[in-house]
Amino acid sequence: MNIVNSYRLMIRNVRVNTDPGTLVFLVLMPTIYLVFMGYMFGTLISQIPVGSTSINYKEFLSPGIAAFETATAGIVAGGLLWSDRRYGMFEQILSSPYTRAEYLFGILLTTLVFGFIGSGIMMLVSEAFLDYTAVSLMGVGLIVVSISLGSLFFGCMFLAIAAKVKSNQAYNSLTILIIFLVDFASTVFYPITSATPEALKVLFYVNPLTYIADVVRAGYISTVTTTDLVELLVTFIETMVMVAIAVLLYRKVRVGVT
Amino acid sequence: MLSEVLGLTSYPIEVEDLKYTYDGRKYAVDGISFSVREGEVFGMLGRNGAGKTTTIRILSTLLKRSSGSVKVLGMDPSTAGNHIRKRIGVVLQDESFDFTTVEKAFDVYGFIWGVSKSERDKKRESLLSTFELTDVRKKRMWDLSGGQKRRVQVAREFMHDMDLLFLDEPTSGLDPIARRNILNMIKDLTKDGLSVLFTTHNLEEADYLCQRVAIMNNGKILASDTIDALKTGYNGLKTVEVKIGGDQTGAESMFSKVSSGRVEPPFERELPYRIVTENTQETMQEIIKLALADSVQIEWLNVRAVSLEDVFISTIAGGV
Repeated sequence: MNIVNSYRLMIRNVRVNTDPGTLVFLVLMPTIYLVFMGYMFGTLISQIPVGSTSINYKEFLSPGIAAFETATAGIVAGGLLWSDRRYGMFEQILSSPYTRAEYLFGILLTTLVFGFIGSGIMMLVSEAFLDYTAVSLMGVGLIVVSISLGSLFFGCMFLAIAAKVKSNQAYNSLTILIIFLVDFASTVFYPITSATPEALKVLFYVNPLTYIADVVRAGYISTVTTTDLVELLVTFIETMVMVAIAVLLYRKVRVGVT
Repeated sequence: MLSEVLGLTSYPIEVEDLKYTYDGRKYAVDGISFSVREGEVFGMLGRNGAGKTTTIRILSTLLKRSSGSVKVLGMDPSTAGNHIRKRIGVVLQDESFDFTTVEKAFDVYGFIWGVSKSERDKKRESLLSTFELTDVRKKRMWDLSGGQKRRVQVAREFMHDMDLLFLDEPTSGLDPIARRNILNMIKDLTKDGLSVLFTTHNLEEADYLCQRVAIMNNGKILASDTIDALKTGYNGLKTVEVKIGGDQTGAESMFSKVSSGRVEPPFERELPYRIVTENTQETMQEIIKLALADSVQIEWLNVRAVSLEDVFISTIAGGV
């Protein structure tokens, strides 16, 4: 595999995806969450305990929304494979000097780029609108690792769906359902407390966005605990499993068949 | 391989007993053999599902053959796919486009092929002009008509250099002028040594463009030669076309009685019957007599020379 080829495909992916619709999807929706929920719930919720400290709701929400961008980036990745298959560019690119592996890696690189751009924008929005505090160097490291893993996990998850699902309607419905489930069954918007129902807790703990949001949050407020490191490890394992599933399903994608 | 035996002519494509099956039961390509010479336009003619697209997919390394021997630019597609893909161009039968403007589509495609920015700009302007796309350059791909999309798809392929070009029904959906422009451009490029494998339903196009053709049906090549050589079997013969009007009841029975030539019934109701004959006078008289006797209404009747289409239909129908 030639990494330069994947890099070239990543540039292509970014270029064909920087249309107003994608940018609105990537930036506007989470910004609305951040500003509206941050201000409205911020007036209702005073302090939320996180690790050994407690923070206000705006400080809780900002890193959550940055983590949420990894799932949004994942949708972009799945959408790329889906539209390339649907509109013939998958077959066209594979008849050019690119291998299947380079194509796949190109999409994963694109997911990382969109994950970091989206999260970065959300951090800037947080700074502009909310009471954002400075992040330590270790915090930055944790944020980078968790955003990378999150982008890869969701990128692979939506790639696997794009590789498997046949109809456009099924793909869109499934994507909306999953993103809704993943966002709200995680600690992006609210913490897991003793009052959370057990069944929901299970869902929260299976969801990697819970761990990504927790670790990004820990990175933000620079209060890293052993739990955060364990959560990072769980995210890593879940990501590796999802990468394996995506690769397996992607290998079965045939040219000329949508 | 043939080239090794002959030693002189260069063959960018050499295929021997190629087979491919999608489902392990039925062969989409069933033991075909052919070769394409350097600088030649080789046409593959056949109905839908004949195996033309599958053959192109195998030769352009998109599919791995089930059996047989294939060399593309002297290399085996199953082991040297990446080397082959660097030197070929492929215009797919199905549409392929990014959700960008027309000019960005050209630029991104050139970028994928590693063409420098200055070269991309130069080629894009030239191709937009040649393919009459300048007026729609700022439009988004999905706002184009089917024919315009097709023109972009074909034109885009010339953003990069190549030794061998696969064209899978490149002119489908195009108006006659756009079609002729593309055919002329391909003709010009072959003068510089470009070899082309071209599939089409349009036999006039094949007649205009191809030096040699292969007629495919059900995964097999039924005939392969120069167009003149294929027509040789029809020397001295002419085609009488008879269009039946009104209710077509009785037409089939009437034509079954024709004895002065070989009758080829139409594929579609709107097309005429064809009778390939040595004596057009005798055939016409016979048909008129039979039509009167059987009360079959003749809408029009025409005599013309044998065309590639006649050869094609006759070959598919199991004739000459």
